[in-house]
Amino acid sequence: MIRDARPNRVLVSLMSLGLLAWLGLDALSVAPNRLVQGTPLNPVEALGWWVTLVGALPMVCVVWLAWRPTAFRLWASLGVVVGLLMAMPLWLSGAVVAVLDPELPQARVGIGPGFWVLLFLWLLVLVELRIRLRLRRAWVWGLLLFVLVVWGIALSHWLTPLALVQEYQARSDQFLEAVSYHVALVGAAVGASLVIGLGMALTMRRFDGLRRLGFGVLNFLQTIPSLALFGLLLAPLAWLSHQVPWLGALGVSGIGWAPAWLALVAYSLLPMVRNTYVALEGVDPGVIESARGMGMSRLQVFFQVRLPLALPVMLEGVRITTVQAIGLTAVAALIGAGGLGTFIFQGLGQAAMDLVLLGALPIIAMALMADALLGALAERLRRREAA
Amino acid sequence: MSEAAFNGPGSVNGRSRWRFAVPLIWLTALLLLAVGMTTLEPLFRLFEPDLRQVIYDREHFWVLLGEHVLMVAVAALLATCVGVAAAVAVTRAAGRDFMPMVAQLASIGQTFPPVAVLALAVPVLGFGTVPLIVALLLYGLLPIVRNTLAGIQGISAEVLEAARGMGMTPRQVLLQVELPLAAPVILAGIRTSVTVNVATAALGATVGASNLGDPIISGIVNGNTAYIIQGAVMIGLLALTVDSLFEQLQPGVPGQSSGAQSGQG
Repeated sequence: MIRDARPNRVLVSLMSLGLLAWLGLDALSVAPNRLVQGTPLNPVEALGWWVTLVGALPMVCVVWLAWRPTAFRLWASLGVVVGLLMAMPLWLSGAVVAVLDPELPQARVGIGPGFWVLLFLWLLVLVELRIRLRLRRAWVWGLLLFVLVVWGIALSHWLTPLALVQEYQARSDQFLEAVSYHVALVGAAVGASLVIGLGMALTMRRFDGLRRLGFGVLNFLQTIPSLALFGLLLAPLAWLSHQVPWLGALGVSGIGWAPAWLALVAYSLLPMVRNTYVALEGVDPGVIESARGMGMSRLQVFFQVRLPLALPVMLEGVRITTVQAIGLTAVAALIGAGGLGTFIFQGLGQAAMDLVLLGALPIIAMALMADALLGALAERLRRREAA
Repeated sequence: MSEAAFNGPGSVNGRSRWRFAVPLIWLTALLLLAVGMTTLEPLFRLFEPDLRQVIYDREHFWVLLGEHVLMVAVAALLATCVGVAAAVAVTRAAGRDFMPMVAQLASIGQTFPPVAVLALAVPVLGFGTVPLIVALLLYGLLPIVRNTLAGIQGISAEVLEAARGMGMTPRQVLLQVELPLAAPVILAGIRTSVTVNVATAALGATVGASNLGDPIISGIVNGNTAYIIQGAVMIGLLALTVDSLFEQLQPGVPGQSSGAQSGQG
């Protein structure tokens, strides 16, 4: 694969598209204040022809390298792409200084479509290179960490006029609170569904009739759209908190964390129970037999043999559940559950797009991180099991 | 099509007459509610005895239902065409280079929460029905691409070899062997896609697209529980109708959706 003499058409087309986006689309927009729609600027208008051409050079270089993709050239392309991803915030910092009028302290810079397209295409290039060079996933995450450090430095030092950063600075306390609340709600829901799910899976293994019924109910719950379930929980919970005073004192009411948590647990149960059930069923009966033969008790067999062997598949369930819960918690902001979704819906309400981004981007980052971490953990367990 | 083979002998005749009973029940309930919500006014009066207005009246429920179905249907139709075409393209010899990347993209993309995709569509496309449909289309593409790839790749090499040996052209192999054999898996992908989209479309009210999410959002904003319940019940019934319909169309074990992919928005 690697010594292929044919051009790598994926890299060539991705980078050609990148060149078109760089030269043809607006990368920035400048607005005198928060309320006014920004004026779009393309890279040439922002920093001039020379810088734009210098920026295009690495992309041309990758196209050339990918034309005869030897292993060495692919590694070189990887270096170029990581360099490009690191140069992006630096270019942006320069552009911010160049386009902003020092007379207008309220002015803010928005990120334009060209910028997002480039970011997307370059990340795709990274994915393609990872596949072709057969790199470990963790390795690429390590590389991206360097890119993120550069982004972090640029965002905190030079990119303050960026509208996204301004929205953050206006509510940095709220932001941290929202992130921790989001994580706490997801954690509480996944934790609870893990415990309940294990219990349900064990019961289902015992009683076959319950298995059909249980999966039927969970499938039914999963079908109900999230907004509808949040809405349907509102009335009974409001009634309950009215009738049972100590529940009301705990903060249970028709809106807020209580219906959100309940709905999250309800949605989490299906993937959790399904994976736990399949995992426990999937353990090789021969292994269980030999553990019994060694004189282990039933409990010992379960905790020392069956559960550890089932763990990787169960973790897969935790991964699916967590990623799903991160997204659903965002919807729960509509019923006053807090979290990062608040920014999305506030931003949509005020037509403040950068506030929407301030909510949406961390949610995506959280989902990707949870997916990567739990996936890596399951992979590790599986490999240890195989060894 | 090949359902008889999947359901086993005998069961087809037993089921065929009644198989659409469940979707029909949900559909009837949905339509009755859409037309006759006002007759239930005394019932909703129980939830909000103090409010003057207990039935959502800014738009008829059947109009909202129609809009909801239309948005999801347009997005699903486009997603199916584009998704299946893309997956077929990367499994041909000419497009095989792109396959690993497309497969990776489809699996990474599904980690993105649907709400976030909807939220990102607005800064790019503005408010209204179009960004909603684009967001639904983009998100709905992924399970379809993924399942079509899995379906086509799951066909054994001998079957393809035999088809070619019979003198079939590549086009005939695709249309008469590969796509029919992959159809159940593709259908499962479409089901996941539509289920997520029925739920995500309900959030359309927050981006300026009118549909069954409207009464819920309006109820939350105005503190009117009756509105919320009306919208929620309608969306729930719509989701159940669609899902049970797919369940009957889909050969295989009833009640079990395919794979570990869950469909929530």
